[in-house]
Amino acid sequence: MRTGGVYNPPAMTNPAVHVHELTKVYKVTEREAGMAAALRSLVHRKTEDVRAVDGISFDLAPGEVVGFLGPNGAGKTTTLKMLSGLLHPTAGSLSVLGFTPARRERDFLRQITLVMGQRNQLVWDIPAIDTFELSRAVYRLPAADYQHTLHELTELLDLGPLLKKPVRNLSLGERMKCEIAAALLHRPKVVFLDEPTIGLDVTMQRRIRAFFADYNKRFGATILLTSHYMNDVEALCRRVIVIHEGKLLFDGDLAALLQRFSSHKTIVVQLETCPDRLEGYGEVVSCEDGLITLRVPKAETSRTTARLLADLPVIDLTVEDPPIEEVIERVFAQEAE
Amino acid sequence: MSALRLVWTFFRIGVMGEAAYRVNFVIQLFQSLLGLLTALGGLAVVFAYTDTLGGWRPDEVVALVGVYILVGGVIGVVIQPSMEALIEGVHDGSLDFTLTMPEEAQLLVSIQDVDIWQVLNILLGFGVLGVALSRLGEQVDVLQAAVFGLMILAGGAIVYAFWLILATLSFWFVRVENILVIFQSVYEAGRWPVSLYPGWLRFGLTFLVPVAFAVTVPAEALTGRLTWQTGLGAVALATALLVVSRVFWKVGLRNYSGASA
Amino acid sequence: MTGLVEVYQQQMKTSFAAMLQYRAALVIWLISQVLDPVIYLVVWSTVTAASGGEVGGYTRGDFAAYFLVLMLVNNITYSWIMHEYEYRVREGTLSAALLRPVHPIHADIADNLSSKMISTPMMLALAVGLGFVFRPTIHLVPWALAAFLPAVALAFVLRFLIEWTLALAAFWTTRVSALNQTYYVALLFLSGQVAPLSLFPGFVQAIGTALPFRWMISFPVELLLGNLTPAQTLIGFAAQVAWIAIGLVLVRLTWRTGVRQYSAVGA
Repeated sequence: MRTGGVYNPPAMTNPAVHVHELTKVYKVTEREAGMAAALRSLVHRKTEDVRAVDGISFDLAPGEVVGFLGPNGAGKTTTLKMLSGLLHPTAGSLSVLGFTPARRERDFLRQITLVMGQRNQLVWDIPAIDTFELSRAVYRLPAADYQHTLHELTELLDLGPLLKKPVRNLSLGERMKCEIAAALLHRPKVVFLDEPTIGLDVTMQRRIRAFFADYNKRFGATILLTSHYMNDVEALCRRVIVIHEGKLLFDGDLAALLQRFSSHKTIVVQLETCPDRLEGYGEVVSCEDGLITLRVPKAETSRTTARLLADLPVIDLTVEDPPIEEVIERVFAQEAE
Repeated sequence: MSALRLVWTFFRIGVMGEAAYRVNFVIQLFQSLLGLLTALGGLAVVFAYTDTLGGWRPDEVVALVGVYILVGGVIGVVIQPSMEALIEGVHDGSLDFTLTMPEEAQLLVSIQDVDIWQVLNILLGFGVLGVALSRLGEQVDVLQAAVFGLMILAGGAIVYAFWLILATLSFWFVRVENILVIFQSVYEAGRWPVSLYPGWLRFGLTFLVPVAFAVTVPAEALTGRLTWQTGLGAVALATALLVVSRVFWKVGLRNYSGASA
Repeated sequence: MTGLVEVYQQQMKTSFAAMLQYRAALVIWLISQVLDPVIYLVVWSTVTAASGGEVGGYTRGDFAAYFLVLMLVNNITYSWIMHEYEYRVREGTLSAALLRPVHPIHADIADNLSSKMISTPMMLALAVGLGFVFRPTIHLVPWALAAFLPAVALAFVLRFLIEWTLALAAFWTTRVSALNQTYYVALLFLSGQVAPLSLFPGFVQAIGTALPFRWMISFPVELLLGNLTPAQTLIGFAAQVAWIAIGLVLVRLTWRTGVRQYSAVGA
């Protein structure tokens, strides 16, 4: 079992979230293309087992902000659903704030919240403030507490002008801010964020990350954030858990992860044609039709970029983060050593 | 009781949401009148050739139509929209939001959507009913009205349980929205007294798709046809179905969250 | 021409496969198509029983025959295209259809036909089954039977064209449901689904005959039941053809203006 780089804190006395050998197995129906297969499937359906989550374990201390990183389909959302009580695990044990999530006890549900990117719980046709009333009724919030929290959230998220507009008239980013506010009205102790910045523009992404950092500082909530964007995790979390194909690959300091596995950046340069020689700029990954891909140590990025622009007839140039998949691969490769 | 307060909150939100679309009022009015026209048109053709239909006089059948429209409105106000929203919620995952709320999930999904304009049907139904009863020259005393109310409640509960069971099926089957079409079309049969239909169909309309209990039975209460056996049966069936549907709902929820059987 | 054939083939394959995936939907839809005629059948049987066994020339067995054949003809001529377009405009998927070099009506026809390939045999089986329950009186005349097939085919084309044209109303308004429902109510009464047209007062029959409704559904039914003379049948065919011609013109017209309207507003 690959357990390299796993963070082993001194035994946590009262973890907010405790997960042990968590496993989730799905049955998926198999179907091939074509008419014959379609008719056959009328009578007989083939199923196969998919291990969406495969024996992961970790603990979160109260007030920690932890990032759950992994490519699409890695098992992040499934884990989050199990932690919020939406899904029963196939095996393993987990507890959140001392509760078994799957039992969905009222006291448990009152203290958690789940925010899912690009999914709305706000009622479409009415101003967000009216949907907040719903939260207030459902979570039985006393008027004073409700007003106080609403005021703070309005301030932190800059909601002032947005609250009275019908939700369908808001932009995607504005809607997301209102969704987040709705999710936090009851001051949950544990916040589960599932790809909260997906589909948002860069400015809005940054603002929402900043908000959660503030929120954590002010209210001390434990935050578990899943994403396949490195930036989300980089901005918010000190600790990161990497998931791949249902298995836990890395659990530890984000800085350490970045240093070990994401120490490079990719520079893509467009020239007229591939030059005969291209040395001294960094590792040349490929060159095709004048499109050169270079791998450059992070520290060297700006210097190399400046030199490239100065020395060569550059048509276009971009600097990219290595995709999360590449980081994962390197973690994998590291474990194999 | 806080459940009532919750219902009231959802109702207010539903009204607010719909009131944003005032044109829907006109649309609903148009549809309701069209529906009435269809029903009365059919009656007109039929009663051009006979004086009674299975023992029911023309105005008694009009009263039945009134109940039909009234109950249709009751179903359409909250039962149908909420169950439709439930099915959608299962598909697009928005049910997850409801499930993370610290309230009884069945209550939340059952009141989550309100189509306020259906109240027009309730009013229209009462109107038609009133006209028919006055033409019959029948006085409705307090006892009859109370029994009528009870039968409407029992019928409503039976229809609710039926819809909940159908909606719960969406946990297992994908294209369940079409099931709603089933109810709409089968409900059409309620425009006529269920006693007309051959035995097997009557059975289906009583126990498979509960149209008889929703429409004919309350109408019987107002036209002096209700036997105490039927009345008692309606209440008993309502209670039983509410229990069954709740159990089935819980089973469906367990399946949705992947609990081992 | 071969291109068109291929379009049909492909569309039908896709629709077919999609349909097999959703078997439950098929069964449910069939049930709703059976129930309406059965309800009216029962009602009219009751009326007949109370009126000395015969109403307007129809015995109980005649009514059974009428409504069972009606059920079949309704299924064969049925289309859901009006709901489809409302959905398409709302969801914005219409733009994709506009970009294709083939007139979108072909895909819709293919989709309709492929679903009928499954539903119509089932409907036939149901009709036969219900025949044992309701005992229709059948007196088939060979030439009528032969004429029935083209009559039904023409009825299908006519109904499809008219409903496709009406479906395009979705280009101009989002409130097509009101239009659709008015159409369905008119269709209900004027095409003989509530009662054979001959039972209606004269002016209703006249309206149904002058408008295409009678030719969409009632005409093939009357034909098969042997209620029409050869002369009346020929006139019926002529009416169908005439309305189809009008329908084709309407389709072209509305499509062209509709597309212009749609693109102007912003596809």
